[in-house]
Amino acid sequence: MSFKWKRLGENSLFLIPSIILTVALGIYPLFWMLRYMFYDYAGYGDALFVGLDNFRRLMRDGLFWESVGNTFIFAGGKLLLTLPLSLLLAVMLNGRLRGGNLLRGIYFMPTVISTAVISVVFYNIFNSYNGMVNTVLMKLHLVSQPVDWLGPKHAMLTVILVAVWGAVGNYMLLFLAGLQSIPQDLYESAAIDGANAGRRFWNITLPMLAPVAQMVIMLAIIASLKGYESIMVITEGGPIGKTEVMYLYLYKLLFPVSTGSPVAQQLGYGSAVGFASAVIVGAITGLYFFLSRKMNKVY
Amino acid sequence: MQKKWLGLSLSLMLAAGIAGCGGNGNNSGNSGAANGEAGGSTASPSAEAGGNTAKSGPVQLKYWTDDRHDQEYIKELINKFNETNSDNIQVELTVMSENYTQSVDIAFSSNQAPDVLRLKSANTSEFVKKGYLAPVDSYLTDDMKTKFSSLMLDNVNRFDGKLYSLPNTGLTMRLVYNKDIFAKAGIQNPPVSLQEMVDDAKKITEAGKTEGIYGFALNFKNPKQAFDRSIREILSLSGYQGLGFDLKTGQFDFAPYSQVIEYFKQMYKDGSVLPGAETLDIDPLRAQFAAGKIGMYLSFSTEPGVYKDQFPTEINWAGALAPTLDGQIKGTSEIVSAGTWLGISAKSAHQEAAWKFMQYMYGDEVLKTYHEKGFGIAVVPSIVEQAKNPDIKGMEGFLVGEHDSLWPATPSVTPEGSTYADAFFKYILTGGDAKAITEDLNTRYNAALSKAVEKGEVKVTPDPAFDPAKPQGE
Repeated sequence: MSFKWKRLGENSLFLIPSIILTVALGIYPLFWMLRYMFYDYAGYGDALFVGLDNFRRLMRDGLFWESVGNTFIFAGGKLLLTLPLSLLLAVMLNGRLRGGNLLRGIYFMPTVISTAVISVVFYNIFNSYNGMVNTVLMKLHLVSQPVDWLGPKHAMLTVILVAVWGAVGNYMLLFLAGLQSIPQDLYESAAIDGANAGRRFWNITLPMLAPVAQMVIMLAIIASLKGYESIMVITEGGPIGKTEVMYLYLYKLLFPVSTGSPVAQQLGYGSAVGFASAVIVGAITGLYFFLSRKMNKVY
Repeated sequence: MQKKWLGLSLSLMLAAGIAGCGGNGNNSGNSGAANGEAGGSTASPSAEAGGNTAKSGPVQLKYWTDDRHDQEYIKELINKFNETNSDNIQVELTVMSENYTQSVDIAFSSNQAPDVLRLKSANTSEFVKKGYLAPVDSYLTDDMKTKFSSLMLDNVNRFDGKLYSLPNTGLTMRLVYNKDIFAKAGIQNPPVSLQEMVDDAKKITEAGKTEGIYGFALNFKNPKQAFDRSIREILSLSGYQGLGFDLKTGQFDFAPYSQVIEYFKQMYKDGSVLPGAETLDIDPLRAQFAAGKIGMYLSFSTEPGVYKDQFPTEINWAGALAPTLDGQIKGTSEIVSAGTWLGISAKSAHQEAAWKFMQYMYGDEVLKTYHEKGFGIAVVPSIVEQAKNPDIKGMEGFLVGEHDSLWPATPSVTPEGSTYADAFFKYILTGGDAKAITEDLNTRYNAALSKAVEKGEVKVTPDPAFDPAKPQGE
């Protein structure tokens, strides 16, 4: 017994650096934010205690609730396209495909490239006055006028497509890891029993993949609800707020961009918005976990 | 067991030692970085070192700026100062690329602030409120007081009776137009009224649409940037403050603003605006103008420099006074970003040395050359008198003339909800009730103003006798 305690003490020493970093960079800022959401604070001078005023403002802040709506559209669109596509790619690459490793690398590559860089590239590809997409569409006579891909009507679709492009490789890799853990014997037995490829996919692959899929979908939901970086570069949330998502709205409150006249940081209200956003993401993730609880037991 | 603990302790010491070495290595790497943020991050240690070694070594000053267009000239000036000053002062320049204000915030909160800072109208009041700046009143010589006396403005470079900076240059705003496109559409002169601007934009689009040429464009990716470089100027020349503030009543009133918006809305309705302008940034806009695809837009006196270096163009273009609401000039064109240039850190251990550097930078020769090289348009009267006009194509249309002047500062407030620019841009694209939008903006901006006044952040003095033709009351 005493040996185990000593052993535990020795091991715990190695945890100290990471504990210090987690407390300093992860937990302390959280408590800092929890405190300031009850204050009117611009980042300098005195912070004025305002009680629940920031939350009252939040309830009547139409821009925030619009951004929540946009977040659901963005996340829903991204998930609906990303998950089936990455699963499909993973299944294709799981077979004995010639050049499979090369293809895995190619599909995964967008994940490694800086979001800011790819977003600038996509801005140039989709802009309506000389973008590549419009040039190709017009040369093929598929459209007679340039399509305003970044305009109010199509901007959300465009940023979803860019987000899908950046995320597919990542989830494909996770699905691939799940697929490779499924025993081959099952497929062989099914084949002997006469099951075709479709039947093997529905009756073996999907059920066996369920626990992995549950985690992948959860990660995808969280990432989609929190995603804003590429939107910030491509549209800055515009035009007229059509692509303003929750975390981009939050970013602008905490780090306002000065454009000729001073814009104050709203750290107090931003903290309240940050808290509300975290609650929304947490609630949706929790709801998903509850609804998908059976996936963990399917195999 | 003892051996294990001894081993463990040794391992920890080794790990700490390695980490320490790594840290030193990183620091030395940073201090070696030139003109980058990394360089900025080492400002304090060397500034302090300068303080500690002041008796034996030179005083080290850090100067931070976010100006990139003049950095070669500023480097030259600093080298000259470092070589010639008799006080053993050495200045190190750090040019920030992005997020200048945030970098300054971080530097001050971590005691790594520079000694001298580039100030602009957009950040000076914030820096003063945050206590970053030292007043310079006590250093001013009589000559300097005379030289800058007409330009020491409340809430621009003077706050609560204390002076924090002195002016150098300002930006004029003009209508930038392509003469060839105008001629092709049969238009003789740039528009003087907004109705003419709408009509001209339509004519240009009709004449050039098949070649991808449109009458008008602005960088609406950020509506505030777009309106603050266009409507602001149209309004000030029409006799109204350009950011929605009524200097006579000391309250926000967006009614004049909404009148201008109607003309912008009409251009959208007519299809006279470059497709995709809703998400256009200023540089892609300039690239399209340089390529001869845009008839006109409104912008600052930075444009001649941009078309000389950044987007060299063969098109025949010029700058002209912005159009007004009814074609009549009832006010003066506002010179913006004037009134401030350099400031001294309140936390600097070498404020006197910083002033000596600042005094050198504000010398006649430096300011004159700054104007002549086209880095900005001189606003200091004695410099304007002696400086030659910059030899840059297009600059003649931007020079300060009889219709240009400095306006009193607008109080800075942050309203709840959307800004005036976002609200009006939404109206342009989707329509709605202009009167209701204007009233809502007035209500929200004046509520924010009352709150700021109550907190002591802003002082407002209504001036019922304000004359937009003579904003400085001269």
